[in-house]
Amino acid sequence: MRALATALMVLGTVLLFLGGVGFLRFRDPYSRLQAAGVGDVGGAFSFLLGLSLLSGWGWELGVLGILAVLFLFTGPVATHAIAKGAFLRRHPPKEGG
Amino acid sequence: MMGAFGIAVLASAALPLVRLWRGPTFWDRVAGANSLNVRVALALAAEGIQGGKAVLLDVALAYALLGFLGAVLLARFGERGER
Repeated sequence: MRALATALMVLGTVLLFLGGVGFLRFRDPYSRLQAAGVGDVGGAFSFLLGLSLLSGWGWELGVLGILAVLFLFTGPVATHAIAKGAFLRRHPPKEGG
Repeated sequence: MMGAFGIAVLASAALPLVRLWRGPTFWDRVAGANSLNVRVALALAAEGIQGGKAVLLDVALAYALLGFLGAVLLARFGERGER
């Protein structure tokens, strides 16, 4: 159980790092949003899954579950809001960019 | 002292911080702030479970909620407002 939890948390940290690197390296705002959104949601969810394997039964598990569901639902909502604002204001997506 | 996972997640928060600092557009900055909030809330949760400071879990929950609210509010404001 502890090894599985550590593996999930390492996976989540690696996903967070990869999403951050993509967020820095990509060229236009939409690619950066895609890297940040996918890395954040996947990394946060697997990291919280590993933490909840460590926490045992108790109210901490409930708070971790609420946090995981919150990240799972609010991450795409925030990414969509940012992309919609960028699209409507002044950054039309480039073809092939 | 912080655990290894808390330190690792906080180190990964440096990447969106750079994007927040020198993002060319306003939207990059909003996305960077959102990403940074996610990482800080995760580090708080890791500290709450592994460091035995269970109060930090509630802090992480409130921080994540407020961070999401701030990102969506900034996005809506930039979509409508003049800048």
